[in-house]
Amino acid sequence: MYTLFPPDLRARIAARFHRRHLISALIILLLLFLWPALGLVDPLGLPPVPIPPDNPQTEAKIALGKKLFEDVRFSSTGKVSCATCHDPAKSFTDSPLKVSEGIDKLTGTRNAPTVVNAAYLTSQFWDGRSPSLEDQALHPFLNPVEMGLPNHDPIVKIARTDPEYAKAFKEVFGKSGDQVTMKEVTQAIAGFERTVLAGDSPFDRWYFGGEKSALEPAQVRGFQVFVGQGRCVSCHVVEQTQALFTDNRFHNIGVGINAIQSQVPALAGAFLEAKAKGANVDIAVLTDKKTSELGRFAVTSQFDDLGGFKTPTLRNIALTAPYMHDGSLASLRDVVNHYDNGGAAKAGNKVNDFLSGGIRPLGLSDAQKDDLVAFLLSLTSPQYAAPTQPAAAPKKK
Amino acid sequence: MNATKSSTLAVMLLAATGAFADEFTAADEQRWMQEFMTVQQEGRKLWTSPELGTNGVACAQCHPNAANTHPETYPKFQKQLGKVVALWEMVNWCLRNPLQGKPLAADDPKMTALLSYATYERRGVKLEPGKH
Amino acid sequence: MQRRRFLQGTGLLAAGQILPISLVELAFAEAGQNFAFAYISDSHIQHIKGSQFVRNWDRGLIRAVAETNLLSPKPDFIVFGGDLAQLGSKEELDHGAEMLSALKGKVHHVMGEHDYYLDLGEYWSRLFGPHYYSFDHKGVHFVVLNSILTDDDWIYRRWPTPQQRMAEMAGLDNPNGSPFMVGEKQRQWLKDDLAKLDRTTPLVVFSHSPLQKIYKGWNFWTEDAEEVQNLLKDFRKVTVLYGHVHQIQYNRIGAISFNSVMATAWPWPYPTAYAQAGEVHLPKLTVPMNRADPFFERDATGWQFIDMASGNVDLHYTLYENRSRVVRFNPQTGQPEDSVYQTESARMAPQNHY
Repeated sequence: MYTLFPPDLRARIAARFHRRHLISALIILLLLFLWPALGLVDPLGLPPVPIPPDNPQTEAKIALGKKLFEDVRFSSTGKVSCATCHDPAKSFTDSPLKVSEGIDKLTGTRNAPTVVNAAYLTSQFWDGRSPSLEDQALHPFLNPVEMGLPNHDPIVKIARTDPEYAKAFKEVFGKSGDQVTMKEVTQAIAGFERTVLAGDSPFDRWYFGGEKSALEPAQVRGFQVFVGQGRCVSCHVVEQTQALFTDNRFHNIGVGINAIQSQVPALAGAFLEAKAKGANVDIAVLTDKKTSELGRFAVTSQFDDLGGFKTPTLRNIALTAPYMHDGSLASLRDVVNHYDNGGAAKAGNKVNDFLSGGIRPLGLSDAQKDDLVAFLLSLTSPQYAAPTQPAAAPKKK
Repeated sequence: MNATKSSTLAVMLLAATGAFADEFTAADEQRWMQEFMTVQQEGRKLWTSPELGTNGVACAQCHPNAANTHPETYPKFQKQLGKVVALWEMVNWCLRNPLQGKPLAADDPKMTALLSYATYERRGVKLEPGKH
Repeated sequence: MQRRRFLQGTGLLAAGQILPISLVELAFAEAGQNFAFAYISDSHIQHIKGSQFVRNWDRGLIRAVAETNLLSPKPDFIVFGGDLAQLGSKEELDHGAEMLSALKGKVHHVMGEHDYYLDLGEYWSRLFGPHYYSFDHKGVHFVVLNSILTDDDWIYRRWPTPQQRMAEMAGLDNPNGSPFMVGEKQRQWLKDDLAKLDRTTPLVVFSHSPLQKIYKGWNFWTEDAEEVQNLLKDFRKVTVLYGHVHQIQYNRIGAISFNSVMATAWPWPYPTAYAQAGEVHLPKLTVPMNRADPFFERDATGWQFIDMASGNVDLHYTLYENRSRVVRFNPQTGQPEDSVYQTESARMAPQNHY
């Protein structure tokens, strides 16, 4: 960079600054450029990303994680990677699919949650069955309708023997050969995921950045509905200095379960018996639609969690249609209607007996619904607003 | 009458009526407290009234004697509103939600009465703004 | 002999978690005292007009009924602990009875003041039977009292209309209310009823009012509590289950355990949270329920099921938006104790009521 300066300027700079000052300045400038890539800058509207002490961020780890994230060899057919269902070009989802398609286009029961800002979630998956990003990464590889591997051995083998991976694991973790395990693989993937952050939306600039013109009047009115009559803010959290748009809790809002209300007792009992006998929860919920509707109950066995699903973030929600854990609501207007009806897709439908106490009919006017949808459209972060590159092409080896 | 004499006369007149701004009497104190108690009692009526919202639910059903309203902790961050609010905003949340009614303006006499009652029932408790 | 839960080691069963009873192995000292029953209380169904009822309270009862029906195996019976209605009207009692009719099993009813003071329990009796009675089940003697009566003057001569009388009693903090009591007539009946029993028979009393004197200002009070307790004290295993307070309370007085049940409708503050309360006798033993977030209309409400373990009561509180709580009779200390939070250091922030 120094060489880009004209000679007389260089001379004057050299006259004033010792070399070591210049080097320090250059290092600081370099870090400032690299800061975002290291995931260390907090996007406007978001708090510092939680980094677990046993998995600190480094540039090399993040690059390795990205590579693993996009690697289709970690599937039984060699065609499915994390990025298949969590496509960077689609805000890390597979919109417009209702439920995801794994190997051989096999479908699961649930809509792919975005990786964007997943680092802020205190549990992963719609039912929170995974306590961390590291743990979450273990499961899709082994699910018969996702990557379909019988065990993690093929992944570990590639990680150890592929020359580029071997070099990277050595550099990042100081490990090679047998020392490279799924722990390192998932730590790298999680490290990459912790850089997939998005704040700084028009809403953030308006609410936290003081830019009065960042939102249209309809969106401002929509925000008032969001924190007022719409009752959204209690679960889709907005606070004084940050907005995660999720409370990280699980609620039955009447999606999916409404259709199987009469079968819930039998399903719940059958599921608990199967679980007591050792059934795998991850496989059960993604392969059987009705079991999937039990939601968080499948993880905790608590009556209070029947039909409960995690509150997702609303950031970038404009880009991640269709909505809800089963992708059953096609548009944001459908979503707003569902809440306005008090937890039913169509007005007048019976709501399920286990509905969260926070869901009640809202009495919104059409204008209020329009405004609310307009507000939700303001939550898109700039780096996702325009179409980006498609997911990395499959590696041929 | 010249200026000095008229101002002296004014002072004497004022002194005669006891109308200095910073001298209030025991009678004033009593009267003003009575004014407050009237409003506070009106607040009690509203607090127990099924007419405040639209579904017949009264504040006193969940908050007998205004217990569990914690006026001494306001302003504070109120998660149901997503921001730091003063007590009147939370009263409005209750009017809109469990009572399914309409919010009141901050200076609506009904709001003042409700706040007077709730605060009066909590008298003597030390201030702890922000406490959850 | 201790109760055993065979899944404890597998990590599937955490303290206070509720699983269908079929997965829980119960072991008791004496056969015949090995059963469970469900308890739903204080639904306060409130009529607005026409066919409109306050949705919040309706949803609470609907949910409790639906979850009670999930218990497997079925509980031996279900108790409804009183205050089905809010103002004792026919519409409210009918609407409540309709929702309760979805319960799978026999229901025993307890009278609450909100059911009683409009027509002195006349319509209630037509729906549910006698105001006080007793029955035996698997070697345990159950007594159901109407403990929300008050003095005749207040009932018959004080108020111009039944509606006014009901409205005055409906306000918990209404200074025009009158203290609850069981009364002379019922105490005599109780004495005779208990006279036939062996003192070793486990005794469970269902009452709406606490049969204790906790806080007079909110009628967490039974005026003749001492006299009633005297009638019970000779028995070796006595538990009183009471509603009315809409919060977790438990206590031990002499040989009698007291356990409150949750309301399905809404929670009440602890009387110790009322700054001007004066004298409050909330049992120190009680670990309070969590403070509620009013956005979640079911927070700090719930229902419960009771295991009769060797004649003593283990009460499982099914709480919404909160972890379940279990208040278990501890044979060593001879009192009811919370299975997780009894020691101060184990408490959570939301259990601090101020």
